[in-house]
Amino acid sequence: MAARGHVQDPNDRRLRPIYDYLDNGNNKMAIQQADKLLKKHKDLHCAKVLKAIGLQRTGKQDEAFSLAQEVATLEPTDDNSLQALTILYREMHHPELVTKLYEAAVKKVPLSEEYHSHLFMAYARVGEYKKMQQAGMALYKIVPKNPYYFWSVMSLVMQAISAQDEKLAQTMFLPLAERMVEKMVKEEKIEAEAEVQLYFMILERLGKCVEALDVVRGPLGEKLTSELRSRENKCMMMYQRLQLWPECNALSYKLLLKNPDDWQFYLSYFDSLFHLMDKSWSQPEEGEHCVEGPVQTTVAEAVKFVVDRMEEQDKKESRPLRGPYLACLELIHRLRQRGCPDEKELGDPLELMVQFFGKFGDKPCCITDLKIYLHLLPPEQRSQFKKRLGELVPLGEAGEDGFGFPGDTKALQRHLCVCQLSRALGLQHALDTEGKLRLITELKAHYHHGLQFGKSCLKTELQFSDMYCLMAAHVYVDLWTETGDENMLWQCLGVLEEGLSFSPSNAQFKLLLLLLFCRLGAFQPVVDLYSSLDAKHVQHDTIGYLLTRYAGSLGQFAAASQSCNFSLRFFHSNQKDTSEYIIQAYKYGAFEKIPEFIAFRTRLNQSLHFAQVRTERMLLDLYTEADVTLSLEESVKAMGVCPEEDDIPWDNMRDNRDLTVLVSWDPKDRELTEEHRRLSLEEESVWLKVRSLTLRLLASLALLGHAPSPRNSDKTNENGISAKSSTLQTLLSQLDQTLETAAQITEKQTQVHTLIYLSNKGLRRCGIWEVFVMLFIQFLSPDDSTELQTQICNAFKSSVAQLQEMLSRCKGEVLEMKDGRLTTRPSLLETLVFFVETVCVVLWVASYSASVLRPLKSSLQKKKKKKKDSSSAMVLRYYLTFILRRPFSKINEECGFTRAAMDKVQSSYLGSLQELGDLLRKRADSLKSLKI
Amino acid sequence: MDNSSLAGSLFQRWLARNKYSKLRSAAPRRQGHCIECMKHLKLYFYLHSNLDPLTETYGIPFYLQYLAHWPEYFIVAEAPGGELMGYIMGKAEGSVAREEWHGHVTALSVAPEFRRLGLAAKLMEMLEEISERKGGFFVDLFVRVSNQVAVNMYKQLGYSVYRTVIEYYSASNGEPDEDAYDMRKALSSDTEKKSIVPIPHPVRPEDIE
Repeated sequence: MAARGHVQDPNDRRLRPIYDYLDNGNNKMAIQQADKLLKKHKDLHCAKVLKAIGLQRTGKQDEAFSLAQEVATLEPTDDNSLQALTILYREMHHPELVTKLYEAAVKKVPLSEEYHSHLFMAYARVGEYKKMQQAGMALYKIVPKNPYYFWSVMSLVMQAISAQDEKLAQTMFLPLAERMVEKMVKEEKIEAEAEVQLYFMILERLGKCVEALDVVRGPLGEKLTSELRSRENKCMMMYQRLQLWPECNALSYKLLLKNPDDWQFYLSYFDSLFHLMDKSWSQPEEGEHCVEGPVQTTVAEAVKFVVDRMEEQDKKESRPLRGPYLACLELIHRLRQRGCPDEKELGDPLELMVQFFGKFGDKPCCITDLKIYLHLLPPEQRSQFKKRLGELVPLGEAGEDGFGFPGDTKALQRHLCVCQLSRALGLQHALDTEGKLRLITELKAHYHHGLQFGKSCLKTELQFSDMYCLMAAHVYVDLWTETGDENMLWQCLGVLEEGLSFSPSNAQFKLLLLLLFCRLGAFQPVVDLYSSLDAKHVQHDTIGYLLTRYAGSLGQFAAASQSCNFSLRFFHSNQKDTSEYIIQAYKYGAFEKIPEFIAFRTRLNQSLHFAQVRTERMLLDLYTEADVTLSLEESVKAMGVCPEEDDIPWDNMRDNRDLTVLVSWDPKDRELTEEHRRLSLEEESVWLKVRSLTLRLLASLALLGHAPSPRNSDKTNENGISAKSSTLQTLLSQLDQTLETAAQITEKQTQVHTLIYLSNKGLRRCGIWEVFVMLFIQFLSPDDSTELQTQICNAFKSSVAQLQEMLSRCKGEVLEMKDGRLTTRPSLLETLVFFVETVCVVLWVASYSASVLRPLKSSLQKKKKKKKDSSSAMVLRYYLTFILRRPFSKINEECGFTRAAMDKVQSSYLGSLQELGDLLRKRADSLKSLKI
Repeated sequence: MDNSSLAGSLFQRWLARNKYSKLRSAAPRRQGHCIECMKHLKLYFYLHSNLDPLTETYGIPFYLQYLAHWPEYFIVAEAPGGELMGYIMGKAEGSVAREEWHGHVTALSVAPEFRRLGLAAKLMEMLEEISERKGGFFVDLFVRVSNQVAVNMYKQLGYSVYRTVIEYYSASNGEPDEDAYDMRKALSSDTEKKSIVPIPHPVRPEDIE
């Protein structure tokens, strides 16, 4: 425990052991010690709060909360209690209660600077901007320090940013903030750089660019010193906003002379140049061109400028910079876009790219750099380009197999780069099957040869030749998608497994394996692969989808639930963490960071993946964990699902998935496009909606089921029930609509052959959901009891029929050996999973209707119910034997790594079936106990 | 700052100072080799999309803490195609009176495909310039004794070993803890280069500031 400033207070001495216990995680001892202390000193409130912290940390939230409220109602003003309560409330995710605490405290001690500032921070934590503004001013009145004043100003800016009405922001909040700063400027009270930053921020948001420029260029701007080139960057920003192209051009030129590798200034230089040309801007006859110096207005000048920069690099003794050479290609690209013939002055793009390769071909970034400009080559030059590059790669004598190999890692990198470029140029895709197989042999040979350079590599390091292996895998995938030959897929898995054995930390191998295993419906190996990726923090959001989207639908419920938990834990901690750093940003005057931090938090809160794991996790709980015979209501309550409320931000959904996390050297026409992204998001959203509506429907069933004695007391309760059943009806019609949309989307989806883009298989299952909808609809006419019961009976009868029909579709072998070849049918597994999920839903509905019917003594219903019961049980029993009967073909001998992959897939299938079987058995038991 | 620690709260430390902090804050800029401007928001996602096993990925709080205190010390380089090439993160700390006010390199990372381009050197140069402007006496950094590649690189950039810190890096999975070199480079405020005179005896982590 860090030292507390002043330890004179005897209470501090008494409390110290409790603090120590809490800090060391010894919560039990902390509670005991607090109890001991409270026996002697009944009114030592802080001890109570510390005890509550101990309780909270041992999972006794309710007890902790009531203890805390005991103290809070006394409106404490001692520092210890207040701070401990603040910590407790934060841990309980109730930051809003901290504001109440300090509101009371400042009322009692109105001149306390400390409590006022705590109050400000408490408001900041929950984003109460208006109250922050007032709290800041209150502070400034007590202690006239600049930071307090500017906290208040910043709170105004935040009100503007968060205002729904942009007009209000522009006419009220921002002008007020501006006036507040102007007042300080006039009184010459501006002290810190942060204050000038804030002033600039306000003017910028107001669109007062001229005024903003004046501030930056004027004496206040001299305070902007911390950041490198702060004033230049801000000026540039304003020039662009104001379309002051001469200034923009001159400044870019100046900055590029200083640092010819700063890419952003090449872009602003070219942009401004073409704007000036379009406006036929002419230089003034006398004096300076503009405040920033000389302006360039012709293509000739730009060409000369770029050529000079390149020559400068050529002459350099030390390592050349990439910037000027890439700028040359960029200028050609732009001139070509404008149809300007002067591009010839810069040279032939092919020659320039060959030159670039000569200089940087042995760097791994060469492919990344050149890829952007490959379109400058006409199609007929592509092969020639590859040949020219090949001449620059030193390879040894060709061996028996006709391949020559590089002698060192630099040569290897060059050769690899040529392979990557030829793939990016589409030359690999143009090969026929024979050619592709030959290419694979060559890539594998290079891969194996290159392993010798990495013999001393550590486990955490990658092999120099890893990328050959990955590329061979990509070509296998090409072959698989083109020919449908599943053997190609198995070979691909084999080559990746081999790669991983030499390079156990290669994330790319793992990602591709992961994707392919999912395609095969084998989830088990995926769990290990993903966990070895060691995904952290935001990665749970950006690549978590790789794991969670398949887990449930492939019948690995336990793993699915666990993977959802990983992601959920991250999302929940984000909220708390980010708020603390927003507060710090106020403290340190990093005002520009505040809106950014908030946007970051929002982006995570509105994440598609967050909504998905939230929903799936709850559904999984209902399907697998919850006890049917107990209370659905309790499960629903524990999960906090409210059927009337939709907590998913459909309109502001953020798609944070990193869809390009897998390396790809595919040509441009095969790259993931914005349209793919949009389609994928649309698909995911619709599916999410189906899932979330299912969840809410089940939840509404719970409320319906526990409406006060639904059937006994005649029609007096009708109103209450109908209100609830109307929610049910609304949800049902929504589900119906969503399913329709889903069907349309599925039709619309075209086959996309991008490696990375995998369509959500889930939607294909939508047809079956109609069973579920029908069940609900028929179930919903609570007017006449006899009719109701007949309808329930009919619904169940038809649902049993549907289930049987579904089951018949699940028949077949997931894994089969035919003519010496292994084939898989993962779709069977998915259909099975869906069958099981539907059984679970039917059971919930059955359990509800049982509870409705129980009070009615009609034997007819009983009989019918039983009939349903037994036939359903029959289906289950049938299914169970069916699973057990399912034979597994023996896998033939295959070479090592491919064989290993096959084994993994088989064992995963077995695992999924086992888990499905167990769940069904459990459900069959609950069905028995439902009997009336 | 450990959230579970009740005492020594941030507020108290802050109240003692009651300034924005000694350091002036500013918006971080993305500069260096072939880079393009980008919003920091994107950066968080970038950094965490990094799956390279050798590149340390810190928790979000860690980045946010640095961005809130020393935004100017957070520099990111982006390639023309939009890829993250590398970043450096640092801070300024130490007593001015005792001539210990200095810049500190907290993290320096270059993506594997952008190594051997001199990017690390450029990023270090920028961090030094910022520290120079703040009137720092030196820049320091810690590096694993075993990381010869990095030690040599820093030596080339003008850094020298000031002292060895025993078991500075705590190891997981049963391996022994590793020592660190505390390396320094004097800035122009330290005219006699007093700050980099090596300390012959190794120190323990608790003895360093």
